[in-house]
Amino acid sequence: MSPKAESQGASGNRDESRTGDAAARAEAGHQQDQSAPSGAPGADLDFESLDLTIETVEERISPSETNVFDK
Amino acid sequence: MTPLSAHEFPVLLAFPPQGHWTQPHLALPSLLAWLRVHGYDAAQQMDLSVEAFDHFLSRPYLERAKAKATARLQLERLQSATSLGLGDARAWRAGVEAAVSADAVIERIEEAKSVVRGQDSDSDAERGFWDPDRYLPAVRTLYHGLRLVSAAHSPSELTPHNFTMRYSNDRSEEVLAASLDEDENPFLAFFREQVLPRIVAARPRVLGLSVLYGSQLVPALTLGRLVKAALPDCHVTAGGGYLAYVGKKVLGAAGVEACLDSIVFHEGEAPLLALCETLRACGDAPGVALRADLSTVGSLGWFDRREGGARATFNLPAHPIKLDDAPAPDFDGLPLEKYFSPRLVVPYDVNRGCYYGECTFCTLPTVIGPGYRTRSAETIARHTLELRDRYDTTHFNYITDCMPPGLLQELPERLIALEAGITWWADARVEPKAYTPEGTRLLYESGCRKLLFGFESASKRILKMMMKGQSLRSVEEVARNCAAADISVTFYAMVGFPTETREEARATLEFLEKCAGVVREVSLQTFHIDEVALTYREPERFGLRILDDPGADLALYHDYEADSGMTQEEAAQMFEELMASFRQNLPLFNGDNVFYFMQKSHYFLHLAGTPERAAETPASFETRLRGRRETRLARVADGGVRTRAGLASTPLTFSYRAAIELLAHPLARAARPDFLTGRYVGDAEAAAEARLPRLTPKASVLVYDGASAEFVELRPDGLAVLRALQQAGSLEALAAHASAAGRQRLETFATELLRLGILLPAADTLMPPARGARDSSRHASRTHESEPESQHVPQS
Repeated sequence: MSPKAESQGASGNRDESRTGDAAARAEAGHQQDQSAPSGAPGADLDFESLDLTIETVEERISPSETNVFDK
Repeated sequence: MTPLSAHEFPVLLAFPPQGHWTQPHLALPSLLAWLRVHGYDAAQQMDLSVEAFDHFLSRPYLERAKAKATARLQLERLQSATSLGLGDARAWRAGVEAAVSADAVIERIEEAKSVVRGQDSDSDAERGFWDPDRYLPAVRTLYHGLRLVSAAHSPSELTPHNFTMRYSNDRSEEVLAASLDEDENPFLAFFREQVLPRIVAARPRVLGLSVLYGSQLVPALTLGRLVKAALPDCHVTAGGGYLAYVGKKVLGAAGVEACLDSIVFHEGEAPLLALCETLRACGDAPGVALRADLSTVGSLGWFDRREGGARATFNLPAHPIKLDDAPAPDFDGLPLEKYFSPRLVVPYDVNRGCYYGECTFCTLPTVIGPGYRTRSAETIARHTLELRDRYDTTHFNYITDCMPPGLLQELPERLIALEAGITWWADARVEPKAYTPEGTRLLYESGCRKLLFGFESASKRILKMMMKGQSLRSVEEVARNCAAADISVTFYAMVGFPTETREEARATLEFLEKCAGVVREVSLQTFHIDEVALTYREPERFGLRILDDPGADLALYHDYEADSGMTQEEAAQMFEELMASFRQNLPLFNGDNVFYFMQKSHYFLHLAGTPERAAETPASFETRLRGRRETRLARVADGGVRTRAGLASTPLTFSYRAAIELLAHPLARAARPDFLTGRYVGDAEAAAEARLPRLTPKASVLVYDGASAEFVELRPDGLAVLRALQQAGSLEALAAHASAAGRQRLETFATELLRLGILLPAADTLMPPARGARDSSRHASRTHESEPESQHVPQS
């Protein structure tokens, strides 16, 4: 198995510090999830600037698995 | 003491891991039938490969595997590294996959097995096997279960189609070390705990191990060593295709005498019977079997221990059996309910060897040999009906290198006249006079649903060097006639034949692209040279220089340099180029549909139909697969999306996609032998480590959804949005405060996750909750999709 990467909705390359901020927000959100969330969900998210890249892993067969008879 | 009679003499035949998992292999049933018609009624057989898959893919085993993987992989160390080389990237991938997917896989494994086996419903029509939206997640879950097993034994890798370790199959020292490695060889504990007690209880006098593939070599020696230690008077022999190539080298390697007593070369029936007769005549006094004179057993290599020590000795070839007199294979005793398929597809050998036998790259007739022999159409039809009734199945895989033209006419007529009511598939050679419009219609009427042709190349020059004896025009004509008769066509193709250029390989690709809609599957291989092949014996004829590795004492395949054409590395790259095209142009290779190709009998069963379920044509099945994702996307327009219960996530310090791309590089793949040949390039891991770039840090998140069994990598922002969506309850609510541009990006993001099955249409489910989850309070809240979503925020 190996992948095929696809990107959807990418906002381009973001610098790592902003990604780190998002990670922190995500973590904070995780904490909130465990208690009582306040405010409208997603109200603090700026969808225009978020990195919404999706990397998918499409099944890909290798030489070792293509001629598989009926295995 | 009087020797035991034949019918009392205990013989046990075992199929070691790793081998076929959807259907039983033919080898042992053929041998068992031969022994039984010669009076060996006490002979038994075990498929330890499918038993191992079943054992590993169980909740208790996977629970242990999860704990072992966690301890073994030291993910925290890898996550905090400043960069990852190939070996660490392999471990890191295994670690993050285990971290995010283990709980869901464990929870759903039993349900997945029941879906793939067609045991999830009494009604055939309702079985998940027939529904791609239930079948594919189930198969993926099984694959991911094996990844967890692999992670627990890292860097060993067990898949449904392969088993590899860090040890080289080409070196006896490493193979023997692998057979003793408690940490990395998962079969050692499996054999000792699950298998050995049963073998000891049966007290066989002969244990026969079938070693068809390189992936079985280490497990076979592992088992042989255990049995010889536990039962010193049991003669442990082995045979099969892989050993037909390298058996002589195996017996010549120091240390193998602790694992085996003999090897049967080529066809096994007559030598195995003669071996049993000889050992039986020795009586059963302790130590007698070990010191027996086996010099009269044809086609046997054995350790002569009569004068102390163990001297490898090789006897003269045995006479081949008359195939038409051989009994039908005997599948009794195999765990038929454990194969990963809802219906048994019976393998049956119509002939042995190849009536053509000229192709310069092919050595299969040599190892199946000697010579070419066939059963008569009358015998084949009679045995088919016997097996149909005995095993209550109407599905057959006629095992042959290629069906001869005469049989292609006579066999269908007999099956039709007998109203056999079966379906079948087989390998075939392009024979324009046989596969005419009338001929293919007759074949379909007799039950033929799929044929696999040796196409190999679209280059006339290469075909001539291969001595294929077929024209492109006839190839296309035969394929079109089969397709018109609704017989699915698979082409075997090859890339990297000596002197082949990139342009010639691309011409092959263009030809195949032109055949889309006629050719449904392509079984592509890269060329390699074994020691039996003409390309090895006469390398100058092909412009080759063979590269020998003096340390590889069990080498079967050899590296080479060519005067012209692609290098081996370039051929591996061309393989990727061709496969990329297939993914685009062949529906069965698109996305996870490729599981239908990889589980060949599963696709065949859709074409075959069942008494309760109508057959599909190749075209209608492809249409159904094409429509699958579009249907899901169309549903979103009606009711929006919702998050799934039980999504799991784990933070990543490196990119998952980058790791998998690194591991998929041809150089990285070269470090792992393929299942058929066991070919392993000794320094490939070090070479790949040195030449491939290292992974550099990148903050990311891996999400796993147990229901769709999908891994998806997001940026941390994406995870934040998923969590917010879960809290908001709907896309509409989440986007309430967004700008138009933001809303558009959000919808694009959600639609793609919907396509992947990570998000659901608001009123839809893909797969029912796992059965096990209903009994598990610990996991219940993560799997019941009908429950309130607020508790199911993706968690690390």
